[in-house]
Amino acid sequence: MERHWEIVSTWVLILAATIAAWSLGAATLPVPDYFLPPPSAVLSAFVELIAKGMLPIFVAESLRRIVLAALLGLFVGVPIGLLLGVSRVTADFAYPVLNFFQSISGIAWLPLMLIWFGFGERTILVAVNYTVLFPVIFNALLGIRSVPQIYVNALRTLGASRWRIVRDVLLPGALPNIAMGVRLGLAYGWRALIAAEMLVGANGLGFMIFNAQTFHLTARIMLGMGIIGALWVVLDYFLLRPLEEATIARWGMVQR
Amino acid sequence: MMHGWRGDLLAVGRGAAPFALILIAWALVTRANVLPAMFLPPPADVARTGWDMLKDGSLWTNIGASVGRVLVSLVISVPLAVGLGIFVGLRRRLSPVFEPIAGFFNSLSGIAWLPLAVTWFGLGWVSVIFIMFNTIFFLVFYNTLVGVRSVPRIFEHAVRTLGGSRRHIIFQVLIPGAMPNIVTGIRMSIGFGWRALIAAEMIATSTGLGFLIYNASNFHQTDTILVGIVTIGILWLLTDRLVLQPIERWTVERWGLVSSSR
Amino acid sequence: MKASAMPVVAVLRHRSVVFLLVVAVAWGGWELFLVTTATVRIDPALQTALRERAPLAVAITLGFAPENFHIRLFQSYGIVSGVRGNTVLVNRVSPDDLRRISRYYWVKRISPQSESVQ
Repeated sequence: MERHWEIVSTWVLILAATIAAWSLGAATLPVPDYFLPPPSAVLSAFVELIAKGMLPIFVAESLRRIVLAALLGLFVGVPIGLLLGVSRVTADFAYPVLNFFQSISGIAWLPLMLIWFGFGERTILVAVNYTVLFPVIFNALLGIRSVPQIYVNALRTLGASRWRIVRDVLLPGALPNIAMGVRLGLAYGWRALIAAEMLVGANGLGFMIFNAQTFHLTARIMLGMGIIGALWVVLDYFLLRPLEEATIARWGMVQR
Repeated sequence: MMHGWRGDLLAVGRGAAPFALILIAWALVTRANVLPAMFLPPPADVARTGWDMLKDGSLWTNIGASVGRVLVSLVISVPLAVGLGIFVGLRRRLSPVFEPIAGFFNSLSGIAWLPLAVTWFGLGWVSVIFIMFNTIFFLVFYNTLVGVRSVPRIFEHAVRTLGGSRRHIIFQVLIPGAMPNIVTGIRMSIGFGWRALIAAEMIATSTGLGFLIYNASNFHQTDTILVGIVTIGILWLLTDRLVLQPIERWTVERWGLVSSSR
Repeated sequence: MKASAMPVVAVLRHRSVVFLLVVAVAWGGWELFLVTTATVRIDPALQTALRERAPLAVAITLGFAPENFHIRLFQSYGIVSGVRGNTVLVNRVSPDDLRRISRYYWVKRISPQSESVQ
């Protein structure tokens, strides 16, 4: 308990020192104002963007897109990966293809998608969903394939049905990989989303910081960065890490 | 032993077969004329464009620019991140304070730095290196820190009891113990960094593979875009096969540990 | 009974579940707030026109000078014909869209156009 208190007080100290140094730097450094706005400017940008209704809409738009991609990954990507993984033939066939496509980020496809789908929402959604989907499918397949054949054989010898083997051996064995794939895919997807919003967006947090740059509204950039980071920390802590922890603890696959 | 090369050939064939099938499907689709060539040129056209770009050197220039940026950023950030990570990780009071801070900057890694980079450094390679530095540094720093902290203190005590100095503890206990995490961090940072690079090159530079494909899309040169995408994929597979997998295998053999998050 | 109740409590205490509940409650409360305050922003003079289904020409007054963002947003509901200080003039807004606009908390007042232009 006391140790906890110590950490928090050190944070407050670091935060105070950073803000003091930042304010001092902003006031004294011989650079244009837009170069390094003081912390107070970031705070007033926060208040202003809420008063003007822009921040809630940008945050909501970005969240809507990443949640959509997450749902698609969970309810479409995972089943596809599992189905491909169950049979050795399809797994051998799909593995190199998935590995190749998951290694190309959605952003690299963006120029092609611009030609295919035009300059707008559809291109953003395709790019983000692509980025999330492939690591998810790939890791689900990898999870199924990483279950030792011995377990499958053991159950088969005992006369278990194919469905029984999938439910009791393959699926639980694949869960840690699935959770990892979802977390990694969404981490990539969140960044792809920001990049796609910068390049083709008319709203969203990526658009907000990119647009602010063209008007030299640096306080808005810093605010946007803070929110992008904070949103990810919150989503990761409350939704993604529990998923990983639950599967690892439940199925005893800790490898550290 | 005897069938070694045959096994290799079989493995290569098995890996290549799906791609061959995709190529055939692609060729058939373009042959059927359902899509205009601007949307999807036939594979032969893409191959010809790729060959031309290899011959006139433009592809090599862009590959060189992108790979060069990755290497420069790695050389600058990794030693700094590992060094600082160990330095902070050793201080048992400091490390729990810095872990969440590094975690926050991790979640901010990549392209979100671009507008600030352009404000400070303008368009150009300095901005790209700045973005890459932030991406790689915090990932490696964070993982090193976590790695050093995860080494059980009992090993440290054991070495100290045996009369080991602080140097011994750092070089023979903490660094080897943290090595799997450090390698994981470097591996992840190359993945995230490479992706951030492509996005950053599209906006902030006039060379590199990211610029190549984004610029080509302005002129509707779909064949050039596809050459760029395939090049990016192949470069990643080569990095994975020739750099990341050997490093990982070496870590596992040397220290017999695999970190759970790859 | 008690044994079977335990896991439910454990699930409810899980940080993901708590987080989602808090988000749902906060979001629901916020939407409720927006819906209940929406009618206050619509000028009484518009109320009768709202009951008919014809598109309206309205003047939307904000508490600040509109940015590009706001103009573009209103453009998606109708045809923006001009900006006078903090007021944006929008033509051909359907009554349904008008109600949607009135839900924006940063909109101060929506009035008939003729009145504010003079």
